[in-house]
Amino acid sequence: MLELYNQIGAAASKITAQWKHTPDVGIILGTGLGGLVDQIEVEAAVDYEDIPHFPRSTAVSHRGRLVCGQLCGLRVIAMEGRVHHYEGYALKQITLPVRVMKHLGAKLLIVSNAVGGMNPYYRPGDIMLIEDHINLMMDNPLIGINDDRLGPRFPDMSQPYSWELIDVALAVARRENVVAHKGVLVAVTGPNLETRAEYRFLKMIGADVVGMSTVPEVIVAAHCDLPTIGFSIITDMCLPDALKPANVNEIVATANEAEPRLRTLVTGVLEHVAQNG
Amino acid sequence: MLNLPSQISEAADYVRQRWTKTPRVGIILGTGLGNLADHINSELRLDYRAIPHFPQSTALGHKGQLVCGHLSGVPVVTMEGRFHLYEGYSARQITLPVRVMNELGIELIIISNASGGLNPNFNSGDVMVIEDHVNLMNDNPLIGINNDQLGPRFPDMSSPYDPQLVELALSIARRENFMAHPGVYVGLNGPNYETRAEYRFLRGIGDAVGMSTVPEVIVAAHTGLRVLALSTVTNMCYPDAPEKTEGNDIVAIASAVEPRLRSIVSGVLARIDS
Repeated sequence: MLELYNQIGAAASKITAQWKHTPDVGIILGTGLGGLVDQIEVEAAVDYEDIPHFPRSTAVSHRGRLVCGQLCGLRVIAMEGRVHHYEGYALKQITLPVRVMKHLGAKLLIVSNAVGGMNPYYRPGDIMLIEDHINLMMDNPLIGINDDRLGPRFPDMSQPYSWELIDVALAVARRENVVAHKGVLVAVTGPNLETRAEYRFLKMIGADVVGMSTVPEVIVAAHCDLPTIGFSIITDMCLPDALKPANVNEIVATANEAEPRLRTLVTGVLEHVAQNG
Repeated sequence: MLNLPSQISEAADYVRQRWTKTPRVGIILGTGLGNLADHINSELRLDYRAIPHFPQSTALGHKGQLVCGHLSGVPVVTMEGRFHLYEGYSARQITLPVRVMNELGIELIIISNASGGLNPNFNSGDVMVIEDHVNLMNDNPLIGINNDQLGPRFPDMSSPYDPQLVELALSIARRENFMAHPGVYVGLNGPNYETRAEYRFLRGIGDAVGMSTVPEVIVAAHTGLRVLALSTVTNMCYPDAPEKTEGNDIVAIASAVEPRLRSIVSGVLARIDS
């Protein structure tokens, strides 16, 4: 991990060359949630391919640029399109943007993703605040010689998601009449979806939803002491005894349909942060 | 795995040229237990970096020395500091020292580690005598073309931890009046500690969780060595009442418990021929 320090610096200088501000918040927009970008008062946009050491996004429905600007009175830096482990990138590469956001001065990370719901009380289109996670990605972004300048060798994981902001987001959801749950995300590598037996297993170990992202970024955010809030959109239900073949177009459509509700929660949290610091 | 025999013999020759005795026991000292090495009547200390093909120790609380000498009158070779997957090494690299100690002639390997307690009946500072393990490390030191000189393609794992030595260790703990439990160790990559959701999952499958030992024990089973593994429960993992876990506290508790582990190790060595 000793090469990361210089990579972070090089990537950050490229961004500061085009945008001089200090971001308050870093945002990672997942599947179908790119629309939040339209609400940002854009001051600069940098393609991933122009930023040294940034991976390129190859996933369906993911663009690949960093959008810098203002949202709800805060300076934000938003990743429009993320990269996934299943695209063949190492977790260390996937999570470099999080370290760059921290380096630029972000004090909060907002992550969002699309997930399959395993909790039978969830419905497609619902939003879940990620309360905790289980890492079954068979890899960890922190493997290698630890760079103590970036964070501790053994980061604590007793509260990787900010409980205070989860409560804020749930209060916004009640006020705005949006169905939102609080639950556990299990992350697998993908890219295949799970078998019925795997869904039974994942449910048994305590997960409410399953996805192929977010956990590496959150581990790195915990490593570099960046408070995090995570939102999942339940795009399809994964009930092992009544499993239907997954349809990627339907998943993207459900994510798009839920996107305004997610946007309401994200902007509600940002307004709270803008008012309360 | 086909180039392993030459690596093993080069490393073993390097040790033999400097220490001619045949060790009967190999010891791997984990987090905070390095002080045990001070009680060895040491005849030779070798830096890992000097030994051909040995990886380097980078972990907190781990030195990087092979100590050859006598403990309780028994010739031993001791690893002061071990290697972990989270340091970026493969399971095969981590376990090379076990094969080298086997080549030097040991009959028994004693392994220690620090772990988080999952079983709610444990307390921090207790010793767990590892009775079995669950490998969730997503790597296996035996992956690759098997070298039949080193061990079988499909090693049996029905009893990787010697049941008689488990009983002996527990009886020593009773005699010395400290808590020791037999239990199942779950091996994970780390390096982050676990989330509460992960603890709830792991609680269902094991008694303690840590980031080492499993690869070494798999290789010991492959080579046919007897194994005794002792885990210091340095903190309790209560998913519903989580406390922050901090690496340095764990090293401190492991160091405080070290005399207990030492009493088990010397008790086992004293009865090695019985």
